[in-house]
Amino acid sequence: MAEFKGRPGSAGQRPTGGDKAVVSQKKQYFRRKKICRFCVEKMDDINYKDVKTLHAFVAERGKIVPRRISGVCAPHQRRLTDAIKKARNIALLPFAAQN
Amino acid sequence: MRIYEELFIVKPDVPEEEVDQFVEQLRTQLTAAGATVDKVEKWGKRRLAYRVDKYREGAYVLFEFTAAPDTVKELERRLRVSDMVIKFLTVRIDQTRKRLDKRKKQRDKRAAKRAASAPPAPATVPGAPQSAAHAAEAPAMPGQPKEN
Repeated sequence: MAEFKGRPGSAGQRPTGGDKAVVSQKKQYFRRKKICRFCVEKMDDINYKDVKTLHAFVAERGKIVPRRISGVCAPHQRRLTDAIKKARNIALLPFAAQN
Repeated sequence: MRIYEELFIVKPDVPEEEVDQFVEQLRTQLTAAGATVDKVEKWGKRRLAYRVDKYREGAYVLFEFTAAPDTVKELERRLRVSDMVIKFLTVRIDQTRKRLDKRKKQRDKRAAKRAASAPPAPATVPGAPQSAAHAAEAPAMPGQPKEN
């Protein structure tokens, strides 16, 4: 019971994970693959001039990739949107894809 | 005094000498207004992400300077009036820099603390320096998302 309480997320969201108690810790890690890239790389500075980095967070049509897809944490996403919008303003990134 | 960054795009068909001349002109004007130019960087011709005034590419020039707000206004006016500049962007960077410095200091401090506190616990283990280095790195990653 106490063990169950320890990770209510995995037990509730994924019923199949419940009976594989031994693997659960590993599985939990596995499922949590969305990790903020900027946190992991300890990149504090998200600069609008760094087009290479920003490109990874812009969809094909030029839209900013939402957090729920890219996995970027909220503070970094805020700075990221800021940087992308600045880059768009100075024609480093497109507002919308051509054609 | 604040630190600013000015990035502007010059028309691609303007000869190089003229651009240099223009940059020099801006620099002298800035210094005359009491500002100090810290950096001038020419990125050369780059493709624009979208068409600006019928141009598909442009030469980027980056200025970094310390100035009072009024000076920036004047500089922007000059860029707007100039025929060869098609786009410009001014960003104030001193606050961002301050924040980054603070963040870096915190990070260093935390790392130092971790390094200092790690050895006592695995002291019984023979490979102390190795495990200490490992301990300093490993908890930093899962801990990060929460802190931010």
